[in-house]
Amino acid sequence: MVKGALFKKSIKDMKKSFPQFLSIFIMATVAISIATGLDSIWETIDIQSNQLYQDTNLSDLWITVTNPSETKMWQVQNISGVEKAEKQFIVNSVAQIDGYPTLKVYAMPNKNTMDVPYVNYGKKLSKGGAILDQDFADANHLTVGDKLKIEVNNKKIEFTIEALAFNSGHIFAIKDNSSLLPNPSEYGFIVVDEDRITSAYGGVKMYNQIALRLNSGVDINTIQNQVDDIFGKKLVGISTKTDNRSMKMVTGKIQQFKILAKVFPMMFFLVTTLITFSTMIRLVEEQRNQIGVLKALGYSKGSIVWHYTSYGIYVGLLGALAGFFIGPNMIGKVLISKLRFLLTLPSYDLKLNIPNFLFNSILIILCTGGVSCYSCLKLQGEMPAVLLRDKPPKRGNHIFLERFPKIWSSMKFRSKLIVRNTIKNKFRLIMSILGVMGCTGLIIGAFTLFDMVSGISKTTYEKIYTYEQKVMLEDRTSDQDIKNLNLDGIIEDVEEGMIQITADDGTRRMVGVSVFSKNSPLICLQDEDGNRVALPENGIAMTRKLAQLMNIKVGDTINLKRSDDSYIGVKVEKLVYMATGQGIYMTNSYWEKIGEDFKPTALLVKWNHIDKNFLNSDYVKSYVNKTSQKSDFEGNLNTVKSAAFMLITFGGILAFVVLYNMGILNFFERVRDLATLEVLGFRQEEIRPLVLMENFFSTGIGILFGIPVGGVITNILAKGFGDDMDLIGHITIDKVLLAAVITIVFSTIVNFTVIKKIKTIDMLQALKSVE
Amino acid sequence: MSFIQFENVERRYIIGDNVIKAVNDISFSIEEGTFNVVLGQSGAGKTTVLNMLGGMDLPTKGTIFVGDEVVSKLDEKGLTTYRRDKIGFVFQFYNLVPNLTALENVQLAKEICKNPLDPKEMLERVGLAERMSNFPSQMSGGEQQRVSIARALAKNPQILLCDEPTGALDSETGRKVLKLIRDVARNMGKTVIVVTHNAPIAQMADMVIHMRDGQIHEISQNEHPQDVEEIVW
Repeated sequence: MVKGALFKKSIKDMKKSFPQFLSIFIMATVAISIATGLDSIWETIDIQSNQLYQDTNLSDLWITVTNPSETKMWQVQNISGVEKAEKQFIVNSVAQIDGYPTLKVYAMPNKNTMDVPYVNYGKKLSKGGAILDQDFADANHLTVGDKLKIEVNNKKIEFTIEALAFNSGHIFAIKDNSSLLPNPSEYGFIVVDEDRITSAYGGVKMYNQIALRLNSGVDINTIQNQVDDIFGKKLVGISTKTDNRSMKMVTGKIQQFKILAKVFPMMFFLVTTLITFSTMIRLVEEQRNQIGVLKALGYSKGSIVWHYTSYGIYVGLLGALAGFFIGPNMIGKVLISKLRFLLTLPSYDLKLNIPNFLFNSILIILCTGGVSCYSCLKLQGEMPAVLLRDKPPKRGNHIFLERFPKIWSSMKFRSKLIVRNTIKNKFRLIMSILGVMGCTGLIIGAFTLFDMVSGISKTTYEKIYTYEQKVMLEDRTSDQDIKNLNLDGIIEDVEEGMIQITADDGTRRMVGVSVFSKNSPLICLQDEDGNRVALPENGIAMTRKLAQLMNIKVGDTINLKRSDDSYIGVKVEKLVYMATGQGIYMTNSYWEKIGEDFKPTALLVKWNHIDKNFLNSDYVKSYVNKTSQKSDFEGNLNTVKSAAFMLITFGGILAFVVLYNMGILNFFERVRDLATLEVLGFRQEEIRPLVLMENFFSTGIGILFGIPVGGVITNILAKGFGDDMDLIGHITIDKVLLAAVITIVFSTIVNFTVIKKIKTIDMLQALKSVE
Repeated sequence: MSFIQFENVERRYIIGDNVIKAVNDISFSIEEGTFNVVLGQSGAGKTTVLNMLGGMDLPTKGTIFVGDEVVSKLDEKGLTTYRRDKIGFVFQFYNLVPNLTALENVQLAKEICKNPLDPKEMLERVGLAERMSNFPSQMSGGEQQRVSIARALAKNPQILLCDEPTGALDSETGRKVLKLIRDVARNMGKTVIVVTHNAPIAQMADMVIHMRDGQIHEISQNEHPQDVEEIVW
């Protein structure tokens, strides 16, 4: 019964201070929503991608080598730690449909069990059929039963599509470094039986990759060394999951959301704690007498402390529960649906990370319950009689500023009152500043994020690449062929490929390499400030992010693995900025100087007269317009848009809740003063500034502090994009101004609600006793 | 015509289904420069009279004249101006702004009116020359009430309204405060209306309005008001 009465009391108290408890609830909900929502995203990617890896029986290591002999295969199989080795053949082909998209062909022996596609719709692979990329099929309106012709090694082969599937290596499905985001209508995979592909190679069975399954706990480096020994110079490369572009992207995304899920809620946890603190301190002070009565009635210290602690626990618990439902639905589902454009997974069913949710819930309950407990502990030492007596009037104090009589005496009394009030309530001031700071910071972060990402397409497609069309050449198309064609326009040939580089400290990495002429008219490399960087004559240029990742400085020498498998040291002469696709650049003359042949793989073109005959000729594998590359990329900015929108929303909630709370707190604390002033004949517009100035003041300071916070948030966001992306966020004046304006709008709306509150002041209460 | 005139004034409150006539059809008049006491038990309607006279409440019927103004016809803004220019308030619980010093509390009043009196001089008059830079929390109840009186007078109002000014004070201090109100008002020629339930205070007034159940029970004139020192309660 006793507990029942106290419980009823807490419900009534909460109703009485509804806006305050609602604020705590909202803040707690937001904190848990963000944490749970972001957790659900990486958890989903993690579980769904691992599920796909498992379903496709993804291998652990890939050896790139051409047609390994049975002896070599036997040797590989006998490396200790290797459980299984299978031969594969992977080659790019051109689908003979509109736009001539690229299909990566996976040709494998029927008995292969590793790296098999995960069939979503249709049956298993038969001798003559093909399994097609589900996304590719959807984008190109193909389905099971359709016939599809592909061109491999200049031979056209027709397949019947028997099934649609997903593949581990095609979760993040981009063709090469020139595309920034996946475009399923232009690139996909097809799995066929090895026997069908032999017809393109004159009946010879082709293999270019060995997939290995390793025993768990094996050291990959020792395996790599043994593989090195077995194949010697014939070895093209060894790669693991961490080298695979798609898998790298997947782990990168998981990492990104893991960081965000830890960093972002922190601010909201902090604000929830502080708001609870301010609310509970006031509540306990107001209920001084009631606590005295309870004590006088014989309630124990413990039960009173628990009573007030329970306020925080109830609200925190409710917030945690609400966050559990809101977070995954409002944040998780929304962002996952946008991530579909980036990551192709068989299922996007949202997975929740329950341990993290429980941890966060306990944390928020500790925060709200803890400060509630602390705020009522203060009064516990007092005797009931003392508590029952009226509280002595609040002390006024002289403040520091008064030591400068010149300034002080020149101030109007109202300014004096505002300054004294503000300084006396440092807590309220700090809270408000924190809230505004967070709001401005989040908004600046949101704008910069959007700017950074849309900046990628601008720098890449407007400043760096100035071509109109990129034409991928067939392998047999030679430099001389191109010259003979006399194409009408600015033409530049480039060689693009992958190359293994080794830094001084031994770190190896497969990176993109682009080779073109020194005074390239259509590729304009630049540094991070946008200044043009010319290719060095005796050395290479490296992208800034790659240099950072491999700890390489200008002037360092790195080792390149040449096509004959020998190594050569080259000097890094320049650093260049590339938003996406990190790699190295050099001139064709230097490329030849280090002993390689310059063999163009693509033409960059700026037409005077577009040569349709050439584009449709046998020289050309495929071509793409820069404008379509660019618009594809920009069309995929949705994820970023919704993320930015969420940041602004959270910023808004933060500012609203904190400013409203502090404004109301300020109002309640002074309502008697304000009523007195009203009786004395002060007009509404004279009373308003007394309450509102503090809000204006903290808004101003908060916005200033919010600028560096925006920088920090921007940094966290930029880092979250992973190794392949090099994002630079500039916090510009216009962004700051816009963020400030939005913050001020939020703050003004809050001020209006406080003004409404001021209008409700009952003068007659000024005449009553202090309660 | 008298300085203050209530004509058939009624103030009803509707609380739920009940209509409560806090003040029911009262008429009286007060001359300028006099010291008046409205006397009655709690619930007699005296505070309602004070509120209406002070421009904090309007009658539901009847007319209130103060000087050349019809207070009962004023709108909210007009009431504020009326309070600002004509009324000085002394509260039962002083109502000083805790964050302002004694002097600043008095300056507060000065800021908003047309012909304010010097705040320092006012504080000197109420005997607080030494305590000007003290905060309310550093002063006794009597001292705080004196600041409140100084604040009311600094506005240079025509009418000084005091709601149970001695209610929160011990009798000795209360007597001093009353004497102060009376002397200062007399010197400055202010009209004073004190609302109290404390019958002995009536002995010092020029006129006493006895209220009972929202109506005027009796209005008595004191030909020879007593000095405060002679009153015992």
